[in-house]
Amino acid sequence: MILIGIIVALIGATSFTNFGWQFFSFHWDPPQNQWGIGVFLVGSFLTAVPALIFSMLIGIGIAVASTTYLPEYLTRWLDPFVDLLAGIPSVVYGIWAFVIVAPIFGATIEPWLVGNVYFIPGFGPPIRSDGLGILISIFILTLMALPITTLLIRDALRSVPKDLWESGLALGATRWEVVRRVAIPHGRRGIFSAAFLGFGRAFGETVAVAMVLGAATNLPKNVYDTGNTVAAQMFELLDSAIGGTGSPQFLAALAEMGLVLLAISLVVNILGRRLIASLYTEQVQGL
Amino acid sequence: MNVTGTVAPEGRSLLYDRSARTRWRLGFDRWIGRLLPLLFLVAILPILSLVYYISAKAVPTLSWTVLTSTSPYRTDALGVPIIGTFEVMTVATLLAVLFGLFGGIATAEFLSDRVAGWVRMSANLLVGTPSIILGYFGYFTFVLYFGWGLSFIAGVFTLSFFMTPYIFRTADLAFTSVPRHIREAALGSGAKPAQYILRIGTPIAFPQILTGIFLAMAIGVGETAPIVLTTTPGVLAPHSIYSPVTFLTQLIWENFAQAPSTGLQTLAFQAAFLLMVTVIILNVVVRLISNRFRKRLEGLYQ
Repeated sequence: MILIGIIVALIGATSFTNFGWQFFSFHWDPPQNQWGIGVFLVGSFLTAVPALIFSMLIGIGIAVASTTYLPEYLTRWLDPFVDLLAGIPSVVYGIWAFVIVAPIFGATIEPWLVGNVYFIPGFGPPIRSDGLGILISIFILTLMALPITTLLIRDALRSVPKDLWESGLALGATRWEVVRRVAIPHGRRGIFSAAFLGFGRAFGETVAVAMVLGAATNLPKNVYDTGNTVAAQMFELLDSAIGGTGSPQFLAALAEMGLVLLAISLVVNILGRRLIASLYTEQVQGL
Repeated sequence: MNVTGTVAPEGRSLLYDRSARTRWRLGFDRWIGRLLPLLFLVAILPILSLVYYISAKAVPTLSWTVLTSTSPYRTDALGVPIIGTFEVMTVATLLAVLFGLFGGIATAEFLSDRVAGWVRMSANLLVGTPSIILGYFGYFTFVLYFGWGLSFIAGVFTLSFFMTPYIFRTADLAFTSVPRHIREAALGSGAKPAQYILRIGTPIAFPQILTGIFLAMAIGVGETAPIVLTTTPGVLAPHSIYSPVTFLTQLIWENFAQAPSTGLQTLAFQAAFLLMVTVIILNVVVRLISNRFRKRLEGLYQ
């Protein structure tokens, strides 16, 4: 468990070298000794944030349906499907997305979007015909973050005391009004923690994104364009560097990317976990 | 006798209220109750599509010889990666069980609340750490710093670090949630802590720990980044702890990334199919054990 400390120390030790703020520039060109990871940071946020928003909305919907509207004999069969989404390995998602989903995006969904919602900034042409890019990454990350958000929101809604539900209903509120006005405000901490942990998952996801985002090193022009995230870029670099051709700068750049990624995911996870931790102590004290 | 409480003014009880606003509220509730469950499709359709297409790509070409033939890596057989995965998973699971179980028992039984809180927090953070970071850590520590090279042992250690926090958390939770009266009865009647842990705590906590182990295996077997960064594909099954080893996820990535020809892609799909089946079976096992366990625990509390 001291491992976290080791990781931080290690990455810190290998990375205090010569980049400074230059490191966050948008110019990535190793032969020219330019190591700006701005492009990848933008790519990370551009894929993780929309994925988080979608998975939160869908997660809240599923959690409300499962806790409020559906009878128990149905949820007993439906909930495991959502949990199963968490268990599918990310390479399997990646290969599925690359071979099956990408052609659908390239041939059907993206042309439709260009034809119909081109007036939204970022949704205009040009499109790529193979379907790889930001949009499909958002889709995959939504699926991968969905089980985490759904599970936590479901727990948050289940932990609302039955008294509150029933008094709400007894006062004449409909089920929707109880959910909207009582259960969601009561479980808001769990819902926020779902957002943080889901973001952590989407932000740190590596392999599936590396397979569908297209590994570009310039800023994406629109939502159909290719890009890259910090995690995927690290993975691809390390994978190709493993032959042993790493210059010191190259390794230092990798180390700093790791540090940035670790810092962001640690902050997000600490915030998320603290929210849940305080939730549980509150419950225990309430008993 | 006085009637207390409010009485709806003449005929305006909510049940008979037909004002536009009430009709809207009830209708909205009814429709949202029908629409929200449709969101389950967002989760279920991709799962079905994934399972269907990967099976469709893999099953027709899958045969017993593909699975068992140990001809060299990346030709037409999965024997080598299957053996590699099996060996890596076995050793990594053993290591992770060792670390996780000891850590969990120590945290639940011996550490002060403050320290235990910190340890639990870091285990949670370790779960949330992106796998690429752990792969990178394994690469620098085991491959470069310890000089083990891209090898079986480096992959095993990295993967076991990845799996440890899952086992740790369930072991910790299992021992903490042993009913208080049983724990106090054991310790109160003179059992030493070690006797309590071995004879009383472990039998009660065992099913839950088992779910943790299976869960960690399900997650570990699907991990790609840590393995790709710490081992290198071996042509044959590993013969020493420093030899290269092939992992199924690694095979998918390598076949996908480097040589997208049809034959290699078919092999990747077969590997993906095997992984998927393994993971689904492990998940079902976890669910079965935890269902049984819940019943047992309920019996314990009565």
